[in-house]
Amino acid sequence: MYQIKQLTLLLLLLCSAFVAAAQQKVTGRVTDASGNGIPGVTVRIQQSTHGAITDANGRFSVEASNGSVLIFSFTGYKTQQLTVSGNTINVTMQEDYANLDEVVITGLATSVKRSNLANAVATISAKELYGVAPAQTFDAALSGKIPGALITANSGAPGGGISVKMRGVTSVFGNSQPLYVVDGIFISNVSIPAGLNIITAAASAGNPQNQDNPSSRVADINPDDIENIEILKGASAAAIYGAKAAAGVIIITTKKGSSSGKTTVRFRQDVGVNVARKLLGMRHFTEETALDYGGAAAKAQFIAARDAGKLYDYEKELYGEKGLLLNTGVSVSGGDERTGVYFSANRKAEDGIIKNTGYLNNALRLNVDHKISDRITAGLRMTYINSSADRGLTNNDNNSVTYGVSLASTPEFIELHPDAFGNYPINPGAANFLETRDKIRNNETVNRVISGGEIKATLHNNNMTNTKLIVRGGIDYFNLKTEAIFPRSLQFMKGGLNGASIQGNTNNLNTNVAAILVNSLEANSKLNFTTSLGATLETGNLDNLIATATNLLPQQTNVDQASASQLQQFRQKYRDNGIFIQEEVLIMDAITAAAGVRFDRSTNNGDYRKYFVLPKAALSWNLAKMPFWNVRSINSFKVRAAYGQAGNVAPYGAKFLALTASNIGGQPGSLVDTQLGNTNIEQEKQTELEAGLDISFFNGRLSLEASYYNKKIFDLLLRRAVAPSTGFAQQWVNGGDLRNRGIEIGINATPVDKKVIRWNIAVNFWKNTSEVTRLTIPAFPLGAFGNTLGNFYIQQGKSATQIIGTLGTGKGIGVLGNAEPDFQMSFYNDVTVLKNLSLRFMIHWKKGGDNINLTQLLSDLSKTSYDYDAMDYGNVKNGVYRVNALVNNDASVRVQDASYVRIREIGLYYNIPIPKNRYISAVNVGASANNWFTFTKYKSYDPESSNFGSNTMSTSTTRGSTGVSTGVEVTPYPASKRAELHLAVTF
Amino acid sequence: MKQYKIAIILLLSGTLLTSLNACQKGEIPNLNTPIAGDIVKSASREQLMNLAVGMESGMRLTLNTYYDAFGLLGREIYRFSASEPRYTGELMRGQLDNNTFYTTNPWTSRYRIVRQANILIDAATNSAAITDPQKKGYLGFARTVIAYELLLNLNMTYTNGIRTDVKDPDHLGPFKGYPESLTDIANLLDQAKTDLTGSEVIFPLSPGFAGFNTPAGLLKFNRALAARVAVYRQQWASALAALNESFFDLNGSFSLGIFHVYSANSGDQLNLLFLPQNNPGENRLAHPSYAADIAAGDDRIQKATLRTTAVTIDGLTSNRDVWVYRSNVDPVPIIRNEELILIYAEAKIQLTQLPDAIVALNRIRTSHGLAPYAGAVTQPALTTEMLTQRRYSLFTEGHRWVDMRRYNRLNQLPNDRTGDNVPDKFPIPLTESN
Repeated sequence: MYQIKQLTLLLLLLCSAFVAAAQQKVTGRVTDASGNGIPGVTVRIQQSTHGAITDANGRFSVEASNGSVLIFSFTGYKTQQLTVSGNTINVTMQEDYANLDEVVITGLATSVKRSNLANAVATISAKELYGVAPAQTFDAALSGKIPGALITANSGAPGGGISVKMRGVTSVFGNSQPLYVVDGIFISNVSIPAGLNIITAAASAGNPQNQDNPSSRVADINPDDIENIEILKGASAAAIYGAKAAAGVIIITTKKGSSSGKTTVRFRQDVGVNVARKLLGMRHFTEETALDYGGAAAKAQFIAARDAGKLYDYEKELYGEKGLLLNTGVSVSGGDERTGVYFSANRKAEDGIIKNTGYLNNALRLNVDHKISDRITAGLRMTYINSSADRGLTNNDNNSVTYGVSLASTPEFIELHPDAFGNYPINPGAANFLETRDKIRNNETVNRVISGGEIKATLHNNNMTNTKLIVRGGIDYFNLKTEAIFPRSLQFMKGGLNGASIQGNTNNLNTNVAAILVNSLEANSKLNFTTSLGATLETGNLDNLIATATNLLPQQTNVDQASASQLQQFRQKYRDNGIFIQEEVLIMDAITAAAGVRFDRSTNNGDYRKYFVLPKAALSWNLAKMPFWNVRSINSFKVRAAYGQAGNVAPYGAKFLALTASNIGGQPGSLVDTQLGNTNIEQEKQTELEAGLDISFFNGRLSLEASYYNKKIFDLLLRRAVAPSTGFAQQWVNGGDLRNRGIEIGINATPVDKKVIRWNIAVNFWKNTSEVTRLTIPAFPLGAFGNTLGNFYIQQGKSATQIIGTLGTGKGIGVLGNAEPDFQMSFYNDVTVLKNLSLRFMIHWKKGGDNINLTQLLSDLSKTSYDYDAMDYGNVKNGVYRVNALVNNDASVRVQDASYVRIREIGLYYNIPIPKNRYISAVNVGASANNWFTFTKYKSYDPESSNFGSNTMSTSTTRGSTGVSTGVEVTPYPASKRAELHLAVTF
Repeated sequence: MKQYKIAIILLLSGTLLTSLNACQKGEIPNLNTPIAGDIVKSASREQLMNLAVGMESGMRLTLNTYYDAFGLLGREIYRFSASEPRYTGELMRGQLDNNTFYTTNPWTSRYRIVRQANILIDAATNSAAITDPQKKGYLGFARTVIAYELLLNLNMTYTNGIRTDVKDPDHLGPFKGYPESLTDIANLLDQAKTDLTGSEVIFPLSPGFAGFNTPAGLLKFNRALAARVAVYRQQWASALAALNESFFDLNGSFSLGIFHVYSANSGDQLNLLFLPQNNPGENRLAHPSYAADIAAGDDRIQKATLRTTAVTIDGLTSNRDVWVYRSNVDPVPIIRNEELILIYAEAKIQLTQLPDAIVALNRIRTSHGLAPYAGAVTQPALTTEMLTQRRYSLFTEGHRWVDMRRYNRLNQLPNDRTGDNVPDKFPIPLTESN
């Protein structure tokens, strides 16, 4: 405390030094190559905080002395520097095809020009994120857009649920999902289960992991508010974020108010339709196959149904709804030189492809930036979100109640439709899913406030050096209400639970504060130093309460309207803090060297007082900026390497051996948990080395970015399976090392750039391979339902995502596949004709990567598979063949190639030319299709699926997601595709 | 003015910076549950009671899987589940997996209770809050429960054996064979008997122990289990001796005994062995041989009621629901008088005191609406009769498979499909080798 006061005093003294010089008024106009004025260009006087912004015609006016340097910068154009001599300066900006001058945030408060960057930092612009074919939620909009990431939709249910794995599996049992930072606020992306296991018993037999598959909370964010996204993929780039950055950091920047003095109002309306991406069809029976299906009774039933014309396509009835999509947004952006305000309101209402499912999101945002004085700026970010998702009842279950499991058990000739009195017939094989669909409710409602602020103060400033203090803080608070209602009249409620109302209430508050001092020193024109020093603190506090009432009164849902109830509560708290220091040196604007170290600790570690030391270093050299460079066609040639370390804190509660509640006879009891705590548990430590080559040809018309990385995770947090006769099933240990190696290649080109037509293309290729390099505990299976159905298997010397299974009776166990793709590619194209008509599309190709297809298994077993009677395996029916495989303990038929080529997004937009008027400045119309075309041989609804979710929270009584179980499919909510029409009017 | 603003900002930020390390301090404890280590060191009276209640409560965990698997192996039931193929697959075909739910879940749950009992023993031994007789009460109950839990696991793995010494999780005892394990279990029951003698029971027991929640009552429970273990060990005289000290009553109610009870109260469990009659989807059905083999007039046919329609899955068909538990809060027996009467009959047959055995068997027969035994009065004939009575009296209570195994008659159990087979034991769970 004493030292900090001293420091403050010193800084105060430093600040009193002011500079003064003879000022004059300098005016001018900034234009593009064709002479049109560019509004919004930042004009800054070098080594000062003074400046201006160009107006609607590209004009500016600024007080500057002769000899001072004006810096003109604007996104998409190369930054230009001009020395003031006289009162007028006109500038023609050059387009920055390769985004070399784009500024990329590399530290908590520092940024680097892309041409000097030492890492491959992927950026997603607003246009790429949400301007082609808008996805339902923010997380879904990331699909295919991050080179180096495997992004998988866990479920097609409204409200999303997306797994993002950057550069392979980062952790098996620890957090494997990236940190999301919105305008400096660390937001929560937890998935909180709704307590459905009492209905589905999904976690009661083959796999104890929770299978409620809730949505991820990052889905709440309104994607239309996002200006751009930067992705730090691994420790080499993200080390400064410390123990939260192991799985990468997704830095989201929302839109700011413009400072041009003009207020822009934008109205947006989207209307569309949502349909199933693929329906498989039903098995069509004949008298013969009906006899085989269920004997004479079934045959008679089939004949009666056929003759009455009552063979039903239940799959289409269940999953074939056309959901209406409506999205309305208004945004206001305005301000002046001192204050910028951005306000938006958005309402999205979407119906699902299953009746009574859908998504609603209402979001408000207010971003205010204000320059308090020449030295102090303040920014405020505030958003309120109300979202509601009706998700239906899908995925695995052991009570034959979910839509998919019931559908798989139902042949086309069973009558399930209600009679004239509304009575639903009993489905003999499982629940009557039409009744279930019509009567239940499984809703997640979120009310969320994300708010934060930042103050930047220039403490001291002269023509060589300046020191800034940045203080930033934020909160993310949400209340999640889950409500699952199963009325007592349901077929599967009668005589058993007699109705259930499961009400979950979660309050979560995350806070983060950071204070950073940044000193820039320009020793001479060829040598710049940037020093940062800072401290951060993040806290989290979650309180989850689930009340389950059974034997419910008819029509009632309140938990007291029932004769029996169960309560569960789970709380978690953490406090992480870190101190870091970082030095960046820029030599001749060509060589960048950076080094830093972060000291990090967390209350989730065994010893909460112990600091972990996480260093980083980076070097890049842009040869094209050197005096000797004389290859004119290559305007940037950069070699780069970066190294960094990050941690991954132990999951909450890993330290303890808990006694869980277990009561009987009305008495309270404590029962030892099956998870043995470990008081010595430590963070996982990750080191990542990344090296790359970035080349830009022909003035940036063609650029190449190639990276290689080697990411090693040490002291993997593992739940070691202990001999169960200890009474424990698992113990937390730091038990192994994991390595991910891969390459990422990106090519960006503008092959045509004419006034008539302009074509921009970006092609990305990425590939990752993982290996468990050390395992101090025995190899262990996880992530699915046992070896006879295919399972993941963590084994030394093998890929972390290998899938093993039984090879046939007596043949033991072998490798059947791997969830990791061989490679992925994406192709983004943007063709603009006559500046006004624009076609954009993105194709995503995932080659390889296997799924465990258990949807097929369940329909095979119930003899209802759509391809049951086909003969793909020789002289035997598919269904018979695959069931025989199970009988013979051959798991290989369930492990299936989940490759696909998908036109993720395609959109056609047109700026309607309108005569100049006082009210409307632009009208844009468009049509788009999202995930409309998929080419795959995978034999189920969609290659993207995960029964276990990706970041489902563990509680005292349930186990959450693991880092590897992506791709296990058990009768999911089928994925959907979207087609929309768009209208945007700017006032 | 400018400097004033800067000063304020700096002051605010300075405060923030210092508060980063000051506003919260210390370790964050477990917010959700008690911690085992704390309780073992110094448990209060109430905490010991909580451990005892938790132990009794936990004994019910995954029993449904255990009884279903035993019912399938003993060809007492079919278990149909649209989403779980292994009930009609592996469990009927007899190729049991060493790393899947039906093997690992019950095994782990039973040892979890053994761990709980050991924690209770440690906590009671270390606690300064209770008297010596009270300690003996805890120890006696805990050891009886350990013996019972070990016996259930030994029933699964049979000659593959179990670990009987698991007190120290870091140094587990070896796997012992079937007879050696049974000996250890018997010794444990005897030790518990010594504990319970002269003890005081201060912990609450559920209504499932009604009539047995005293030292004398727990002793009777202990001896009833000892009688079961004795017949497993073919120590017929000790079985009779144990019966004498138990609640065995030849003329008493069949349902006299100790039960797992259930309720829908918070933190309690429901009886997962209950499924409604004619339930669609999930089915627990009587094996067709149950009705086919039953004698006319036997009221135990009520344990397998006719469905409105038969169900067929995977080539297996049954038209009767198992109807032993008639609500999801019906109690499940741990041991009851009907079994003790049959144990008595069994011991008497084996000691060739055949008239005594016939008295006991007739007590069973006549109470279930059958005529007195009229078959051959020979040891083999009466053994068969005794096994038949056990089959119907203890239907779905986890005995049939074990009984047929004890008498080397597993080959008499029906296989409905080619490829079906009744194995004699479960494998040791894979993770035991860790």
